[in-house]
Amino acid sequence: MLEMLNYPFMQRAFIAGLMIALLAAMSGSFIVLRRYSLLSETLAHVSLVGVSVGILFGLSPLWMAVVASLIASWLIEYLRSVHGMYSDSVLAIFLSGSLALAIVIVSLSGSFNASLFSYLFGSILSVSNDDLIIMGLFGSLSMALLILFFKELYFIAFDEEVARTSGIRVTLLNFMLVSIIAVIIALSIRVVGTLLIGALMVIPPVAAIRFGMGFFTTTLLSIGIALTCVVAGLSLSFFFSLPSGAAIVLCLLVAFIFALVVNRR
Amino acid sequence: MKFSPSLFDVRNVNFTRGDNEILKSVNLTILPGEYCAIIGPNGGGKTTLIRLLMGLEKPSSGTIKLFGTEQAKFREWHRIGYVPQRSALVDATFPATVREVVAMGRYARRGIFGFESSEDVSAIEESMEQMGVADLRDRLIGHLSGGQRQRVMIARALASHPQVLIVDEPNTGVDVESQHRFYELLRVLNKTKGIAILFITHDVGVIAEDISKLFFVNQTLLLSQTPQEMLRCDSMSRLYGTPAHVVCHNH
Repeated sequence: MLEMLNYPFMQRAFIAGLMIALLAAMSGSFIVLRRYSLLSETLAHVSLVGVSVGILFGLSPLWMAVVASLIASWLIEYLRSVHGMYSDSVLAIFLSGSLALAIVIVSLSGSFNASLFSYLFGSILSVSNDDLIIMGLFGSLSMALLILFFKELYFIAFDEEVARTSGIRVTLLNFMLVSIIAVIIALSIRVVGTLLIGALMVIPPVAAIRFGMGFFTTTLLSIGIALTCVVAGLSLSFFFSLPSGAAIVLCLLVAFIFALVVNRR
Repeated sequence: MKFSPSLFDVRNVNFTRGDNEILKSVNLTILPGEYCAIIGPNGGGKTTLIRLLMGLEKPSSGTIKLFGTEQAKFREWHRIGYVPQRSALVDATFPATVREVVAMGRYARRGIFGFESSEDVSAIEESMEQMGVADLRDRLIGHLSGGQRQRVMIARALASHPQVLIVDEPNTGVDVESQHRFYELLRVLNKTKGIAILFITHDVGVIAEDISKLFFVNQTLLLSQTPQEMLRCDSMSRLYGTPAHVVCHNH
């Protein structure tokens, strides 16, 4: 089984996949607890706009996805926190709006359907060395910020109002969190695909919460689930020639069902 | 910081939301060690007043000073413990142990790079012991009773070693026995630790003893006086806008 690691493309896919699993599970814990789960799905659709623009104009799809996702994340947080709009409504607008825009851009060019397919559903063959370097840089920065502000983000997820009155800079940290999530999602599209990254961010924390433990332990378990499912999904993808994103998400679903059955109440 | 005897100093504060005047011309002062209660009818602006004190709302006009400092420049929020309305209503599945919740009270003091110091650990342990929740440390907060959760929330507020504790309608969703234990607890904190207390309540009978100052709020601060003066029929009628008759009993 380990012979798959002899292939350089599989080595790159595993490095990228494990990096994304770690980041997605950790940041996902905060958005799940804040009933903000659809943020990942929405930003994934927005990053598809960036990919489309990138391919259409011959720019780096990955960088364009990062830019589009970041701008959308700030707009979403601005509308939610400053204008007091319901978060699910804002997310619904951005989700459908960005998908419409991406479809228009794709139909205008009409020449990159095959390439777009790999961005939609992920492909282990598509991870390049340059992608790994970009992922490593942004991933390390995101992880450092998540670790540094772990306790503050937890406090905000538990009780935003009391966190604010205890002197924590809630608005700034909220913008930081959505920015980190935007970057993680944009970086993940090579491996997991834009349509499936939401699952990697949401399912591990939801499954881990079922075990009824404290936040620190729940986060560790969530990371463990995400790492295990990425390894299993990439392996299935290699041996059965499946799209990597779909294989990973199916493994996550199995983990979720297991958590559900084991913790029946 | 410039020395000031008052913890809260509110001067001519008005607060409007849209066309609604929620509070007008409010003036009040709270001194160290005072044991104060706010009463008033529903929708009278009690919670808004607390939210203004905590900086969660901005006054339309007027000034608020905390520990002698203009609210906008105030940074030492750990000196104020705050337990908002319905804070004890926690999602049953939220992954937070009692210990983790109480530890949140120390976060602002620890700063970005701060790990939990021995001082943090002792403050957390002390406040859990004080509130009688130390034995529940590993239990999920959502699995506790309303009264237990309420004590955990107070323990969190106490962990930052505040000089004043603000509690908004503490007994929402809590049984009568827990309510009495709770008021007793506030008294003990005030008497033994010297922590100033400010809380909102509808239970005027329970607060008659020991209160040093009562604030009647119904859009404006109608009265600020001792419980004995307050529990007169004319005062109560003025506050609630309807004829009131005060009956004393031994409970």
